[in-house]
Amino acid sequence: MSPFLAYVSMVCLAALLVASAVCLYRLALGPTAADRAVAFDTLVAVFIGVVCVLCIRWDSVLYFDAVWILTLVGFLGSVSIARFLERGRVF
Amino acid sequence: MPSPLELLTAVCLLLGTFLMMVAALGLLRLPDVFCRMHAAGKAGTLGVVLIILGTAAIFFGTPNDVSIRGPLAIVFQFLTSPAATHLLARAAYVREYPLSDRTKVDELKTFLPSRPDEIYTQE
Repeated sequence: MSPFLAYVSMVCLAALLVASAVCLYRLALGPTAADRAVAFDTLVAVFIGVVCVLCIRWDSVLYFDAVWILTLVGFLGSVSIARFLERGRVF
Repeated sequence: MPSPLELLTAVCLLLGTFLMMVAALGLLRLPDVFCRMHAAGKAGTLGVVLIILGTAAIFFGTPNDVSIRGPLAIVFQFLTSPAATHLLARAAYVREYPLSDRTKVDELKTFLPSRPDEIYTQE
């Protein structure tokens, strides 16, 4: 990995850290349950970005499958929270 | 001097990270849950897509090629994220979570009754 890309990925990691802190703030203090669900969705998206940037930094795609797993778990979590909020049950 | 592929990756990563920051800022600053969904749903999805695209670009042609898995993850993200946000918004509206004070028009009121007990008693 070139020094240029190392610098860029460090900047991205710092910015993503700030974004995840903001998402955690909304996850903890969100006034409604839907706020917390949206914050969790965004937090999963930020973690996907962190995994991708770390793949570049470590020059390895060993953890790239975590992107798939996080996408699936985030989708299933959001959908089940939404169905539970709307009807009081999931299935 | 970085190669063109590295330059493309750097642009994708920085743009994607910027969009993630915009999504987080909207989550922090916007007044009600529907506005927050608007920020997080669109900016967050595009940010993830750009970051995955940058990763797939830098590994293109190396032994660590992810040029199948990366674009498939992007397609899956585009399929699932709007569906999840739409379901959450519908649930929040049906449950009558409060709109912001500055809301002027509520066009959904004529289409979607907001009393969940009457909607689902038939099942």
